[in-house]
This record gives sequence, C-alpha cells and structure tokens, in this order.
Amino acid sequence: MRVEQNHRGQMAAMSMPALVFTVGMIAFPFLYTIWMSFQTYSSTGQVTGWGGDNYLRMVVDGQFWNGIWITLYLYVLSLVMQLVLGTGLALLLFRAKRLPGIVRSLFISPFMMPPVVAGMMWLVILDPSLGAANWILTSLGLPPSAWLASPVLVVPTLAMIDTWQWTPYVALIVLGGLQSLPPSVYEAAEIDGASRRAVFFRITLPLLLPTLVTAMILRSVDLLRFFDLIYITTQGGPSNHSMTLNIYGFRVGFEFFQLGYAGALMVTLSVLVLGAVMAFNRLRAVVEW
Amino acid sequence: MASITIRNLVKNYGGVTVIPGLDLEIADEEFIVLVGPSGCGKSTLLRVLAGLEAIDGGELMIGDRRVNEVPAAKRDIAMVFQDYALYPHMTVRQNMAFALEMRGTEPAEIASKIEEAARLLDIRPYLDRRPKALSGGQRQRVAMGRAIVRDPQVFLFDEPLSNLDAKLRGQVRAEIKMLSKKLKTTMVFVTHDQIEAMTMADRIVVMKAGIIQQVGTPEQVYENPANLFVASFIGSPSMNFLPVDVQADGLRLADGSLLPESLIARPSGGHDRLTLGIRPEHFELVQEGQGLAAEIELVEPLGSDTLVHVSAAGQEVIVRVSPDLRPQSGQRIWLSPAAGKAHLFDPETEIRIDGTGKAD
Repeated sequence: MRVEQNHRGQMAAMSMPALVFTVGMIAFPFLYTIWMSFQTYSSTGQVTGWGGDNYLRMVVDGQFWNGIWITLYLYVLSLVMQLVLGTGLALLLFRAKRLPGIVRSLFISPFMMPPVVAGMMWLVILDPSLGAANWILTSLGLPPSAWLASPVLVVPTLAMIDTWQWTPYVALIVLGGLQSLPPSVYEAAEIDGASRRAVFFRITLPLLLPTLVTAMILRSVDLLRFFDLIYITTQGGPSNHSMTLNIYGFRVGFEFFQLGYAGALMVTLSVLVLGAVMAFNRLRAVVEW
Repeated sequence: MASITIRNLVKNYGGVTVIPGLDLEIADEEFIVLVGPSGCGKSTLLRVLAGLEAIDGGELMIGDRRVNEVPAAKRDIAMVFQDYALYPHMTVRQNMAFALEMRGTEPAEIASKIEEAARLLDIRPYLDRRPKALSGGQRQRVAMGRAIVRDPQVFLFDEPLSNLDAKLRGQVRAEIKMLSKKLKTTMVFVTHDQIEAMTMADRIVVMKAGIIQQVGTPEQVYENPANLFVASFIGSPSMNFLPVDVQADGLRLADGSLLPESLIARPSGGHDRLTLGIRPEHFELVQEGQGLAAEIELVEPLGSDTLVHVSAAGQEVIVRVSPDLRPQSGQRIWLSPAAGKAHLFDPETEIRIDGTGKAD
C-alpha cells in the first residue's frame, strides 16, 4: 500500500513538467487575453483603466459590426460552396473507385500548399491588368473584373480562393463517410425500387449528415478565424470591405497598439467560434443515426 | 405467388466460375432452403434470383416470366438480408413504407399495410423507433415486415438468423416457418446451418462448389444422402465413416470384425473397398465379444441423450446413446450398426451405392 502511494507520488512528480508546460503554453495566453480585454492601455503601454469599457466600445464601433458582418458573409458563402462542391467531388471519386496516384496527389495538393503561397499565386492570377483570370474573361468576350480590388466582389473572390484550397479536404472527409456506409442498405434500396435521385436524397444524404456536420465543424473553426489569405491579398481592403473580425482585431492590436480593445475583439471572436462548434455538436447529435 | 425455374444458370466473377450451370425447379408456395458450406454459391444464387447480380448464362423464370434482364425492383421479390439492411436513419414505419412510396402507393394504403404487417409480426410498439433502438430479434422482424408489406411473389432470405443468439434463433426459425404457412408465398432461404435447413424446408437443396449435390425433403436428404458430402453435411454430429473391405461373407472392418449381410446388404458390382457410413444414433450396443469393439474416450451428456466418443477400428466414432446408460470414459463397449440403417459409399466417386445400387 505504502509502496503504491510512493509510486503514485513519483508518477505525479514526473508528469509535472508536462503539466506545467501545457498550462503555460495553452491556458496562460488565453487567460491573459481575457485579462487584457478588461483593461485599457495608453499608447505607451501603461494601464489606464480597468472594467468593461472595451466591450462597451465594441457595441458602438461601426468597424466591429462591419467585421462581424464580413466574417459571417465570408463564412457562410465559403462553407456552402465547400460543402456542396466537396460532396459532389466525393461522389464522383466514390463512383470512380480506383484513382491513379497522380490524380490523388494533384487532388490533395491545394490544401497542402501554405496559405501564403496560395495567396501570392492567386494575387498573380487575379491581377486586374496582368492576371490570367481577366485574360480568360476578355478572351471570351466578357468585361474584365477588378476581383480583389472590387468592393462588391472581394468577399466572393476570397471565398472562391478558399474554396479552391479547401474543397478537396472536405471531399476527402465526405469520401471517408461514403466508404463507411453499409453496402447492403443500397442493395435493399435497389430491391425497393428507389431511383438514383431517391437513393441520393432519401438515403445517401441523410446517412452522410453526421459526416457533413463533422466537416462543417472543422471548416467553421478555420473560416471564422479567416486571416492569412486576407492578410496576403487585401489586408482588409478595399476600404474595409474584407475586414473580418480577425483582421480588424489584428490591426487594432498591432497597428494601433490598443491591446485591451484587440483582446476584447479576440475574446468575442473566440466566443463566436465556440458557439458555432457547440451548435454543430448539437446538430450532430440530432442527425446521428 | 409464383414458381421459380432455373435452367442451366451460369454465374462468373471475373474469370472465376461460381455457378457452372445449375438447374432447379421451385414450386409455387414452396419453402426451399439452400444449404452448404461457405463459398458453395448459395448466397450467389440467391443474389442472382434477387437481381443484385447479373446472370452470365442460362435462364431464370419467376412464374412464367423470364427475368434474366429484369431489374431487381421489377422482379416482384422481397429480400431479408443477413445484417437486415434496415435504413438506419428511418423509423421502423418509414423503413416499411419506403418501397411502397417508391411505387407510388397511396398513403392511406401504405398505413394500413404497415399496420397489418406490424400486427402480424408483433412490432406495433416499435413503429416509431429507429433500428438502433431495437434488439437483434426486433430488427429481424422489421426486416421481415419490410418484405411483407410489399406483398411479393417470392421471399428471399440470406442467412437472416445468423446474427441472433441460439435461443432467439430457434424462436425466430419457428416464427418464419409459421409465417410461410400463413402468407402462402414461395420462399427461398439460404443458410449454412443444417438444423435450420432440416427444420424449415419443404425441400432442401444441398450445394457444394456451385453444384447441387442433392434436392429432397429433409427426410430424404437425411435418410438417403446422395453422396459422402451430403451425408457428412446434414446431421449433427456428422455421420461416422469407416473403411470396409468387401468379402464373400460380408463387409470386414479395419479391426477384422465382420458385418454380416443381415445388417447391411453387400452391393452388386465389383468393389473391393467401400466407405461405410453410420449416423451416431444408428449404433446398437451388443453383447461383449460381438460386433465392433470400442473404448469410450469422451462422454458428452446433452440431457435428452448422450454423445459418446469412442475409439473403434482405429478411428474416432461418435455414438448417440440413452442417458440412462451412464457411460464412463475408459469403458469398453461393443457396437453394431442398426439393421438397414447403415450406408455404403464408393470411396472413388463418393456416391452412395447401397439400396438400389445408386443414389436416389
């Protein structure tokens, strides 16, 4: 008995460094951000006040609401495109059964690419005067587009770039889901006389919902924190039309050095992400079969 | 309600022939059990009947309609799968309604058919549950219900009892048999379990390597197996096989003991060696010094009777005896086949040659 307790003590002592490290690396920055969000700082970094001022400021800050709107607009647009295209792509791949290695590699390459590289690549492609995108449009007799420089098109264009990069990832998740569906159910449907349309909408899609919700959770976390691609391409412009909450918080913190307010913005964003994840987790329990 | 006619049916997978030309007639309202070991082609044959697999040769008729090219949905058959294949996201009611909805049946008619089938199968309390919330036996009934509401010409069962525990299996076996009497529909049931085959079938089809070994009533298959394979496959424990030499005065076993002609007739034809087949229950205990000397190695009491593993004529033989006998390991007993119950097989062709001289 004593030996066992000694043994336990030893084990606790030996796992302590890992515990301290984990708390230091994960919990401390998070708690410190929350702590900061309740403080106001002068431009020289002195604490000038304590309380909920930063959160009150958010309510009346037009830029904050613009950030929320842009974040949600970009999020919904990208998520819908990635889910629809990803599911379509997965169904095609599922039917193809065997896939040459080169196709598979090409297929997963977009999301292997660092977002910075993807951003630079698309900047070149979408350049209004030199880019391939406008060359194609004008070759087809269509008017050229301003793409990322257009206040109207900037969010759809960013959504398109992200969709290009992340649709294969969604497709791989959905393909995994498709491959795990019970084959005998499809044979039963064949005997029951279900058309292809009925099989898709009444069997495949409902059975895939748990997988789709998982894909939604994974993409939601990324999409709500949309940052690197915008930072490389537009930095929030033109005139704040792609200023997501994350980009706004970054600029407030590291360009205007209002660390308290930036902290409050980031805490709000985190709550938004957490809320989305919790909502989808609920949804997953509902669609589970 | 329909008969099924299979003529010279061929099924290949890639370059491998699974069924090399099979003929079978199944009568209207008949309960046919296809039985055989894994890989004998019984499930393939069922899937071909269902239309889930294409036919590579020959002809398949359901009723008087040739269905070779008819898709599964239009064959008017229903199938109960081994894993039930219920739609996991639908309630029991929705599972049963699905096929009817696909046919465009009126909702009121669907509801009444479901109600009727649910009452027949005693699943009314579960109609609004999903398959996940049901036990194995309940799922099995729902799978049957889904088949029944379609009012098919033929029911196909693909080992539907193999996922149930032993007690439930016996119960569902009896239920399916009673159901078949009520529904008066042609049923084709696939199993590897010879007890299921014996208890449920009007006729048993014993298969091996895609070839039908014997077709007959359970009694015919049990009492007059066509060959060594059928003899060993049907019956549990399996029939005992002993090599015998054919001599002028009878059949001589490996230990030198002689089976007189009064017990088993010597076959006509010039065989020197034969295989003697005796079921465990067809041994009689005889007085010391007579018949086949045997030493008890293992005793398995089953309650209703006792299985005794003995060593006789240099090999293991299983004998079924009355539990009142209270046999003990190490004890010596003397055995003799019951008159007229033993079979003789040609060891080369494996065909039974006793009685009329060939298999019936």
